Amino acid sequence: MEPILELIDLKKRFDEKEVLKGVTFSVMPGEIIGYIGPNGAGKSTTVKILLGMLDKDEGEIRLFNEPLTNGDISYKSRIGYVPENAELYETLTAKEYLLFVGELYGLKEEDIIRKSIEMMDALGIKDAFNGRLSSFSKGMRQKVLIISSLLHNPDILFWDEPLSGLDANSVQIIKEVLLHLKKAGKTIFYSSHVMDTVEKLSDRIIILHDGLVVADGPFDELKEEAEGTLEQLFNTLTGFDQHAALAEQLVRSMEGDMPYDE
Amino acid sequence: MMNNIFGSGKKEKTPFYLTVVDKLAGLYTRQGVDYSQMRTILQTKMVIDSRRENLIQGAQSTKKRIEGEEKNQFFSSLWVYTLLSSFLLILFAYDNWVFQYTTYFSFIFIMIFSTMLANFSGILLDTADSTVIGTKPVSKKTLGAAKATHIAIYLLSFSVAIGAPVTLSTFYFNGIAAGILVALLTLLAAFWCLSLTMIMYGTVLKRFDGERLRNIIAYSQIAVSVIMVVGYYMMGQIFQIVNPETLLVEMNLQLGHILLFPMWFVAPFGMLQEGFTLVYAIYTGLLIAGTLVIAYLYMNNSDRIETHLQKINSSDPKPNTRSAIERLSAKLLCFGSLEKAYFHFSWQLTKQEREFKTRLYPSLAGAIVFPAVLFFQNLTADSMEGMQTPYIYLILPYFLILSIPMMAVSVQFSNDYKGRWVFEMAPNQSRGPFVKAVTKVLLVKYIIPIYGIISVLVLYMVGMSYALQLINGLLLMSTILYIESKRANKTLPFTRKFAASEANQGCMASLFFFFPVFIVSVVMVLLQNVFPTSEWIIAVLLVGINVWWMTNRFSNKKNTKAVSV
Repeated sequence: MEPILELIDLKKRFDEKEVLKGVTFSVMPGEIIGYIGPNGAGKSTTVKILLGMLDKDEGEIRLFNEPLTNGDISYKSRIGYVPENAELYETLTAKEYLLFVGELYGLKEEDIIRKSIEMMDALGIKDAFNGRLSSFSKGMRQKVLIISSLLHNPDILFWDEPLSGLDANSVQIIKEVLLHLKKAGKTIFYSSHVMDTVEKLSDRIIILHDGLVVADGPFDELKEEAEGTLEQLFNTLTGFDQHAALAEQLVRSMEGDMPYDE
Repeated sequence: MMNNIFGSGKKEKTPFYLTVVDKLAGLYTRQGVDYSQMRTILQTKMVIDSRRENLIQGAQSTKKRIEGEEKNQFFSSLWVYTLLSSFLLILFAYDNWVFQYTTYFSFIFIMIFSTMLANFSGILLDTADSTVIGTKPVSKKTLGAAKATHIAIYLLSFSVAIGAPVTLSTFYFNGIAAGILVALLTLLAAFWCLSLTMIMYGTVLKRFDGERLRNIIAYSQIAVSVIMVVGYYMMGQIFQIVNPETLLVEMNLQLGHILLFPMWFVAPFGMLQEGFTLVYAIYTGLLIAGTLVIAYLYMNNSDRIETHLQKINSSDPKPNTRSAIERLSAKLLCFGSLEKAYFHFSWQLTKQEREFKTRLYPSLAGAIVFPAVLFFQNLTADSMEGMQTPYIYLILPYFLILSIPMMAVSVQFSNDYKGRWVFEMAPNQSRGPFVKAVTKVLLVKYIIPIYGIISVLVLYMVGMSYALQLINGLLLMSTILYIESKRANKTLPFTRKFAASEANQGCMASLFFFFPVFIVSVVMVLLQNVFPTSEWIIAVLLVGINVWWMTNRFSNKKNTKAVSV
């Protein structure tokens, strides 16, 4: 079977800073990939390049067996995206926003409305269909974003922190959604800082550190490199083991407070 | 038939702008634009503009229900421009069409270009769409066309509003042919302003990157503003009123004037009134050729801005340190640690905010160039010995007051408006210290340096004995800046998102300011020169007022004003 997504020696530089130093990995159809790394490792940059929001400097990307070139848009109708920091048009209602997104994918109005209502019902926010996004909680907005990424039945999903802002029940639902999407043959490429979820849901985990892939494989295989949980493995690979010392330093710094004099 | 995503379920009337844009669907499609997507984006943007939702903080009731109200402030305030541009009707007292329309098109270009640069550059250079729209199968050409059309709707409406008095009067005074011509050329002028701005930004974005790019954008805006004002001055040099009684005007058109492209718009009127001449034919030819070149460049580069826009956000700004002048100003002018904190915050934000710079810099450039042009004009016209009165020089620094409304309005907005929760968490939520701090920042960063430069030039011409008068001018400006900041900032500064529908706020205030400013500056100059002792009385009075506003403690009333999203 051919990979659905392939990155070969992908590089990206912002001014003097090389954010991606040669990222290489491939994703097979139907896989759930947990893409993790510390802040600033280059996760969002990778996803932004894949989505055409940034141009790559060097390297090759193959998506759906086709080379991806800067400026390409045809592949976008086959992918769904949930951004980490969503820029929503907040004065629109959920219905208007989903219609807007659906129409950009070329869907029919009645199909968008039908799917939107069904999906909002499944996620428990159907009553907010005509409510403005500005009045939505973070979790509700996240659900609208997730729905907007599924409306056009994409083959591959790029979800950046999909569980952000969701309550415990909703997290359970989204986890189930991921598993059902996998069953439906969809490929899911997601990043999250919730290690427990990544560990349990992912077929494969790719750990990015300082612009390079430092680990790539199923959790059971990766465990052989470092005993314990994914979190412990993550700390070992990213060279971070000073949690306690840093927490102590933070609390100590807090003690010298200086309230405003007005 | 096209979908109307905001009217589904009801038989809603298609907005007028969409009816017009629908007629041009074929044109868009031929340019490689996906018209259906472009229309959806445009319609959504227009609906967003009309919905400035207000969140009421503090659970206070409001007299009118604001949420749900859909009214585009921009369109509903256009009549003010029509009223103000009615002063151009005086032109019809002159019989020379070339003179009439030279004045008219100079005015049109300077107004549309200023509006375009200051108020709509932010929309062209907005990167927020990249997440929502850029990740969908929408080409850069389609997104670029949607942005351009979005701005064009506002710009054309603005042009119609300011051009209406002269256009309608042209039909009456100069005939149907001239009326049709002036209407078409006014719309063409708006197209020129939009296209030239897009070509400029497209070129700058393509050629530069990193931190330099942000500076170049600001410099290019300043350069265009300077060119506009200098051009406006040169246009004035072409004509001379040779007989004020009969209003006889003499034209002195030279080869050097060929670069003044608003003159190209005037030549067809010359041909219409006076018949064919080689000069008019050349200028008309240049108008046609110029339009074709601009249209060609626009069509071939319409996606250039979108293609290179990512570069704006792809570099880290240089690390910021508090400069000596910032620290010293905070120490001297701020009273209380909260005000100092807001002062430093406002200082950094005015340094970083692209939206703020985009809106303010063209206005500041105009404020400094206009007096400079007048200054050099007088320098060449009068010898020092022949100079009867210093009044003309003393009035020049007062032009800076005209940029105050734009400053005061611009500090309301921020790209990072969502950061406002920080203020909501602050132990003291009164608006006063923040408005005071931001006013002091504007004073130190913009008013004092620019006023200082103009004052040095003026003092060089009139002598040091007028120094107190100029200091009084600065004190007056500081007072006006405070009043205007307080008036314009009903919410906490930097906590609102900029919307196209609010584009004309600063310009509108500047226009309203014009006559009071003119009267105040004339009164200040005359009073202090006719009654020399009044200098000291005014100085004491203004020092008192400034000390009062800079030091007074604001009430600790919680900020319960509506904050627009």
